[in-house]
Amino acid sequence: MQKITITRLVVMLFVLTLLASGCAKKAVQEEGTNDTTTQTQEVQEQQPADVSDTSVVDNSAYDAAAAARAAERAAAQGLVQIHFDFDQYVLTDDAKSTLVGNAGLLRAAPAVKVLIEGHCDERGSDEYNLALGEKRALATKNYLVSLGVAAERLAIISYGEEKPVDPAHTKEAWAKNRRADFKVKR
Amino acid sequence: MLLVSLLLHLLVPILYYSPLFPKKAIKKPPVYRVNLVNKIVKNPQAGRPEATVAKKKPKVKKKPKVKPKPIPVKPKAKPKVKPKPKPKPKPKPKVVKPKVKPKSKPVVKPEPTKPKVSKAQENTLAKRLKELREKKQRESAEQARKEKLAALKAAAVAESEKVDSPISDAPVGMVDGKGDEAGVRATAFVQEFIQQQWSFSKYQAVGTPEAEVKLFYNAEGTLLHYRFVKKSGHEIFDESLARAIAKSKQLSQPLPEAMEFDIFFNLKDMLDKP
Amino acid sequence: MKLLRVKLLLLFVVLLVPSLSLAARIEISAPGEQTIPLALTRLLPMGVGGSQPAIAREFLQVLEGDLELSGLFDLVDPASFMGDADKLGLRRTEIDFYQWRMLGAEALIKGGYRRDGDRLTIELRLYDVITQRLLSGRRYAGKAKAVRKIAHTFADQILKSLTGEKGPFATKIAYISKRSGNKELYMMDVDGHQPVRLTNHRSIVLNPDFSPNRKELIFTSYRNDNPDLFRKEVYTGRESRVSLKPGLNIGGRYSPDGREIALTLSKDKNSEIYLIGTDGTIHRRLTNHYGIDVDPSWSPRGDKIAFVSDRRGNPNVFIVDVRSRDVTRLTYEGKYNATPAWSPKGDRIAFSRLDEGVFNIFTIRPDGTDERQVTFGDGSKEHPRWSPDGRFLVYSLDRRGSGKSIWVMRADGTGARQISPLGENDSHPAWSDRW
Repeated sequence: MQKITITRLVVMLFVLTLLASGCAKKAVQEEGTNDTTTQTQEVQEQQPADVSDTSVVDNSAYDAAAAARAAERAAAQGLVQIHFDFDQYVLTDDAKSTLVGNAGLLRAAPAVKVLIEGHCDERGSDEYNLALGEKRALATKNYLVSLGVAAERLAIISYGEEKPVDPAHTKEAWAKNRRADFKVKR
Repeated sequence: MLLVSLLLHLLVPILYYSPLFPKKAIKKPPVYRVNLVNKIVKNPQAGRPEATVAKKKPKVKKKPKVKPKPIPVKPKAKPKVKPKPKPKPKPKPKVVKPKVKPKSKPVVKPEPTKPKVSKAQENTLAKRLKELREKKQRESAEQARKEKLAALKAAAVAESEKVDSPISDAPVGMVDGKGDEAGVRATAFVQEFIQQQWSFSKYQAVGTPEAEVKLFYNAEGTLLHYRFVKKSGHEIFDESLARAIAKSKQLSQPLPEAMEFDIFFNLKDMLDKP
Repeated sequence: MKLLRVKLLLLFVVLLVPSLSLAARIEISAPGEQTIPLALTRLLPMGVGGSQPAIAREFLQVLEGDLELSGLFDLVDPASFMGDADKLGLRRTEIDFYQWRMLGAEALIKGGYRRDGDRLTIELRLYDVITQRLLSGRRYAGKAKAVRKIAHTFADQILKSLTGEKGPFATKIAYISKRSGNKELYMMDVDGHQPVRLTNHRSIVLNPDFSPNRKELIFTSYRNDNPDLFRKEVYTGRESRVSLKPGLNIGGRYSPDGREIALTLSKDKNSEIYLIGTDGTIHRRLTNHYGIDVDPSWSPRGDKIAFVSDRRGNPNVFIVDVRSRDVTRLTYEGKYNATPAWSPKGDRIAFSRLDEGVFNIFTIRPDGTDERQVTFGDGSKEHPRWSPDGRFLVYSLDRRGSGKSIWVMRADGTGARQISPLGENDSHPAWSDRW
């Protein structure tokens, strides 16, 4: 399982590299996210569709407005996911400081709308985790709103334990899976 | 006066539940399994009803209806007395020993009274011919069965030896026996015998059924008649009792005298109580 | 004082009377055999159709599986059968009960089949060997592929004859499987055979429930990018969204009369238990607490609903009265209790408890007494649901490494058997009513 994940990551990175080299503007943004740690790679793994969509749009539009939109979107993709403790939806100090950064990005790109996904680790019951994931997404949204992001720009959804980033049954995997992700809405 | 009366009334339950009156003295005597090989006597000596007669002294029974290979029984085991009766050949030329699966313990009693079916079956020539043909096939099956039985028996013996029960060398008798006869009390025997004939699954049980049946046996151990004093009202339960009684038409030992038994059937020891 | 003496005397009489009775009193407080010795013979060809050993074999295998699961029987070893097993005679007078009695059998099943093109007729008899009474006689006719269904239906009938209540073997189990790569809704027989896929959402489908009176299911799906509640008619395939409020529309459970659905909605920014109509209109909100409230399960009378809440800290099972909305707590032991399922008889509630990283299934009385653990050992057991007769529980077992599969066991935890294959990640079983 682990091996497959690693292989997938390698392939993903390769694809991303190709995309980045095909679009100079994108490559710059990409570097901005790359130095944040491996977590970012996992986020990208979750949204390959978004990544390829972006490149197509970028190639087809040349006017200034489109370029601005692309910049905003790319900025929004710098949003960093946050993590939670077991069976908790209260934001940790780490999560709060990450959200401060995210709020900054979102304020700089006022046209961007974001979907906040709440996730849980595989422990616990499915239904309960759906509710818990939603509480996590909501806590995240509320904090961003308190930091000045307009509530209308933030939608939430819970996936409970349905979409782990790491399918392993280890403490490390569980810690990665208890998270809120940020997806830019088209 | 009223107070005294009240106190007296109170005293009864208090006495009942007090350690002064151990529960077994009131209702339930400890359950000892009875080895059905043992003779029924009027005045049993002190001993164990589940004990078996030592092999060195083979007792010659007057009317050996059953010649089971005695298997020592674990005292703690639930109802699992497994005598292996050898059916007495009756109307049919060849009666096959009951097949015993590892998990199943069908205790088949010989059928000294002629069942209706055997009568119907006894005659037709075609049937006999067919039976001859089947005989061969049955014999090979019989062989396999014997082997399985032997293996089973060996396993049972091995198991009982592991337990190292004190029974095997205890004298045959009743725990509270005060007489001088080597054997078991009729009530204990009949209780064990009929219980073994009774098949009922806890998955059939509804509520806590109880029934009372009176059975009248003659001295030969043959059931003369019976009647339900009280049915449980749970049809499936009552039917299972009727089957058990039908299978108990003939005890495997004679009684010291004609006797009447008043049997209370219930599931107290099967249904798990919270 | 005289009265006192009378009372003392009475006391003595009461204590002595039983021992004065003439008949020898015996109490038999348990049967010697706690299973029914049953002889199950192979179906024999009837009439012209000729021998179709495959039919007889499949029938026997299905029936045997059901009867074993029931826990009622001890099957007499077929190797010991004598001549009567090879005779078609199904009538009372044609059967040699003596043979069966010699084998220790108390019940006997005999039967015959006839195949006529695609038409299959199976005739069956269940006899009481001791009293030589016919307990059940049935003739089934159908298409050739109906063998399994006929066997299950007769197994139901056998249980009816020997316990007074029909078995649940001819019903269906719905479940979620990931065998296609996505979580989709499937349905199979109670023994795991004949699985069919019911949805193709290519999204996430969760937590199905059968309608009590129609051949239809509700479930949650992310197909429209929100966990909405869907309804699906099994045979027409017709599908519609029942509840699509923003946020969660999960854990839908039909009321016993089929007219309402209890579910979790989070439209108020917090998960609460609601009652909605089958058209999706909200009837009532049952809970009102900032904690998490999920996983409703109706009492069979429809007057109460068990659910999971973390309102006292950890997830525990609570019961809400549908009329008064009073909430009482059911579970106190353990730190994480979830997925309650109220038995169809109303006498017990099954749930799963997380302890040391592993779920096990427990049952408890609705008044909170007599809690019992019914599963043990390896792996997480979750999502217990009752068979319509309350005899069995179906659940999912997660053995890390090999994934989740569906299992069935008796309600007391015995007889557990795997019914769906490993490697497809099957979960969320639900047992249909009479099908």
